[in-house]
Amino acid sequence: MIFREVEDRDLIAKARRGDVEAFNLLVSRWERRIFNYLLRLLANREDALDVSQEVFLKAYQNLPKLDAVEKFAGWLFRIAHNEAFSLLRRKRPETELPPGLDLSGVRPAETGARLLPLELSLAVESALKLLNDDQRDAVLLKIYQGFKFDEMAEILGCPVSTVKSRLYTALELLKAALAPSVLRGES
Amino acid sequence: MSGTSMGCENYDWKSYVLGEMNSPGRREAEAHAALCPNCREELATLRLTLDTLSTLREEEIPRRIAFVSDQIFEPRWYSRAFRAVWSPNFAAACVIAGAILVHAFARPASNDQIQAQVEAAVTKAVANVEAENAEHIDRVVRSYDSRNSDIYKEVSGLVRQ
Repeated sequence: MIFREVEDRDLIAKARRGDVEAFNLLVSRWERRIFNYLLRLLANREDALDVSQEVFLKAYQNLPKLDAVEKFAGWLFRIAHNEAFSLLRRKRPETELPPGLDLSGVRPAETGARLLPLELSLAVESALKLLNDDQRDAVLLKIYQGFKFDEMAEILGCPVSTVKSRLYTALELLKAALAPSVLRGES
Repeated sequence: MSGTSMGCENYDWKSYVLGEMNSPGRREAEAHAALCPNCREELATLRLTLDTLSTLREEEIPRRIAFVSDQIFEPRWYSRAFRAVWSPNFAAACVIAGAILVHAFARPASNDQIQAQVEAAVTKAVANVEAENAEHIDRVVRSYDSRNSDIYKEVSGLVRQ
């Protein structure tokens, strides 16, 4: 991991000096993570692809403005977050789910049967869609991308307390949506 | 909860399972959970939720992101050349230059030049007419001589008879 970080740092430095191939290599390293983050956030494959393209184009154009090379990951995800929310605001401002949604009717395993991996995966996807955009964003950055609270605060442009509040609320909702089904499946 | 110095509400189990708690805090929380069934259950439920969430696999990207050196970012050579020189000032200069060239090649001739051209044309026409007349006279003379020669031969023959 350290070796990888050093390599990324070197590539970023080269890309900032105008080395296009170095940036191309960075794209190939980060495109899957960015795409999956956007896929879960936008819940639309084509939108995720289009926004991924925009993210790397903006990253290339703004790379000279990157303050600290070691913050490249957070900086890249901040671009992705901004682009995604810009699209979400344009496309579906009227469909955003209110926080504190009642989950009693949408638990995925009412049957009590053990879930197959694919079913479990679908249940997780459904559960993530129950969250509002901010809560889902927090879950994606923390649980799937492994950022620390302070890094998330920089990416999302809000205080750490807000990050924790969104994430904790999301975890309560996910706990209610997922834990009973899993427990029934194991019993 | 018994046997600990702090109540359950003081332990942030979400921070614990998310890896945001420092080492002393973790040790203290674990010591509390060892003695508190409620906190153990809360911890187990949170871990189970995170484990379930982790079953969502990353997907392969359907098509790779276009690199900055790809064609879509690179204009063709004629586009680059066009963009390099094209501007409103350049366009205006082209129009003015074209107008100057057209004027230079298509402007009307002066009176002296017209007069000279007319005189040259008349001279050429006169020369052509004179040449044609000379040729016609020559043909007539040759025909006249030929007929005289024939008549002379005919008359000579009659005289000898």
